Amino acid sequence: MNPVRVAVAVLRKDLRSEWRTRELVPALAQFVILALLIGNFGFQIDSRNAASIAPGILWLALVFAGLVAFGRAFAAEREQASLEAMLMTPASPVAVFAGKAMAAFGLLVLCEAVMLPALSLFFGTPLSIGVIAAVLLASVGMAALGCLFAAMVARVRARELLLPLLTLPLWIPFIIAGGSALQSAMGLPGNYQEAVGLLIDFDILFIVLTSLAARFVLDE
Amino acid sequence: MNRHEKAAVGAVALMLLAAGAIFLYAPTDYLQGPVQRIFYLHVSSAIAAYGCFAVVLIGGIVYLRNESLAADRFARAGALVGVVLTTVTLVMGSLWAKKVWGAYWVWDARLTSTLVLWIIYAGYLTVRRLAEPGRQAARFAAVVGIFGFIDVPVVHFSVTWWNTQHPGAVIINDALPPEMLATFFFTMFCTLVLAGVMIAIRYRIETLLDERHGVTEPARVVAARGAEAGAEPVP
Amino acid sequence: MSILVADGLTHWFGRELALEGVDLVLDTGEHMAVLGDNGAGKTTLLRILATALHPTAGRLQLAGLDAFRERRRLRHYLGYVAHAPGLYPALTAAENLEFFCDLQDVNRSRAAEVLETVGLTPFASKRADQLSRGMQQRLAIGRAILHEPKLLFFDEPDASLGADAGDLLAGIMQGRTVVLATHDHALANRLCPRTLVLRHGRSLGTATHLRVVK
Repeated sequence: MNPVRVAVAVLRKDLRSEWRTRELVPALAQFVILALLIGNFGFQIDSRNAASIAPGILWLALVFAGLVAFGRAFAAEREQASLEAMLMTPASPVAVFAGKAMAAFGLLVLCEAVMLPALSLFFGTPLSIGVIAAVLLASVGMAALGCLFAAMVARVRARELLLPLLTLPLWIPFIIAGGSALQSAMGLPGNYQEAVGLLIDFDILFIVLTSLAARFVLDE
Repeated sequence: MNRHEKAAVGAVALMLLAAGAIFLYAPTDYLQGPVQRIFYLHVSSAIAAYGCFAVVLIGGIVYLRNESLAADRFARAGALVGVVLTTVTLVMGSLWAKKVWGAYWVWDARLTSTLVLWIIYAGYLTVRRLAEPGRQAARFAAVVGIFGFIDVPVVHFSVTWWNTQHPGAVIINDALPPEMLATFFFTMFCTLVLAGVMIAIRYRIETLLDERHGVTEPARVVAARGAEAGAEPVP
Repeated sequence: MSILVADGLTHWFGRELALEGVDLVLDTGEHMAVLGDNGAGKTTLLRILATALHPTAGRLQLAGLDAFRERRRLRHYLGYVAHAPGLYPALTAAENLEFFCDLQDVNRSRAAEVLETVGLTPFASKRADQLSRGMQQRLAIGRAILHEPKLLFFDEPDASLGADAGDLLAGIMQGRTVVLATHDHALANRLCPRTLVLRHGRSLGTATHLRVVK
């Protein structure tokens, strides 16, 4: 059994479905733009405070977009009863999980591709490699954790409620380190390298942990 | 009186003794005044809560390894008692903070990670309620319990890295007079006994609930006893 | 030689007893129908037999192996068609099967062969959500036989298959051990020499060439 073949097949299947239906990404992109708009009204952003407030708005929008993206990834399989069909094959649940997580990460990156330029356009914050790298690195670990719990709550009642309840507390380290990295990348004092180092550590830690746990969550 | 009732009476009596020690034996802190007496139960219940969550962690790991129903019941009991003790810690801590720091809440590492701890294990109890009882609920909850336990030091570390204000370990550096130290250790002992007794009682309740819901030793364990090993599948 | 030995299968959904102490022995190549009203426990029994669901109590041996300990090894021998087709609506019929070829670790060319078997070759490049309910059911059946399983479990496959359901199923069942849950007594009689009747989660026993159980 080749786990890479399985993971790639799941990834391709999810991206192809999204490409044909365009169900999630356009809606999420609209959502993040709206979140920036609301953020602007809520905080009275101008050129002086943009670097300290814009990262916060970005993380808030991203966290909720992520919850929707990861939740959908497994809820759709559940509604179509295809999750069981997938798990009835000899394919390793960890490989299936990896494929789903990579696909959800890909969709989140597409949202970010809309969101980061919009943030820069609206609030005048720089759109540098440093900003993009910090957001991408945080998204990796958030996708791993988010998909693990999305897979879990897909089989539970009241899943819309439970997913944020379980996921948000575990995302806090990413938001702390990611927020700090973003602020220093946007010109506030702070240690960018240390923050990015932390993000990488958290990514590794949670990728390892989620791969160990995926078997227990997905396997009946 | 049965075993559990006796234990409960004993634990309550110990807590009353601890209250006596806190209010009558321990001297009043000359800087903070009487409010400092919160310290004894505040720290004790925090330590006991960590102990309870360690029970959840170990119970979860054992359950995932061999699906032992007993381990899962311990985890369930530990989570519930732990959440209660964390609530006590948070409430007493914020009362103390209001008096000493002038605010009920500050975003420091220890407070934040304790709050996260409370949220995660409250989530654990919610998973237990919403998942299909039995194997699924036990597995999902075990994963939540393990991730929660690992996440707490991570959150604590990240917030410390961010900023901190909570006093460190006051007990280790002999800042406390011996009467205070004795009161603290006695209170901690009583709180740990209380936590243990509550877990034992809750364990018994969980066993009865399982029996009522028809949750028995899982099929795999039963099957393992009767199955012949090493048979090859028919091609 | 018995390929399936079930002993006291019992399942609780929360406080609801769905299946109580069902025993069953099946010989290699045998075809057995499971009859019963809605809610009698047919789906629960089939999901347990197909190792999709862990029973609360009882044990199950498939091909001489403990079904729940050796589940991953056994998956190569099992095919399961659930009541819901469980297809990906945005993928074509062929893509649906090719995806499962990857998961089953068989060559993708099997997809075309199986489409032929279930009579869907003309619809290979139609999206699954554009197929009729009956065609979706055929596709789901095709997905379950991609890997040539020796043991097949059908949960009401005839529900929307149409007039030639019997012929299609008979062809696929040939040479395999099959458990088929159905409402249709006539179909059960035609395809399966043996029948198990479930009522309120209990087995009322098995019979060969069932007359009519009212």
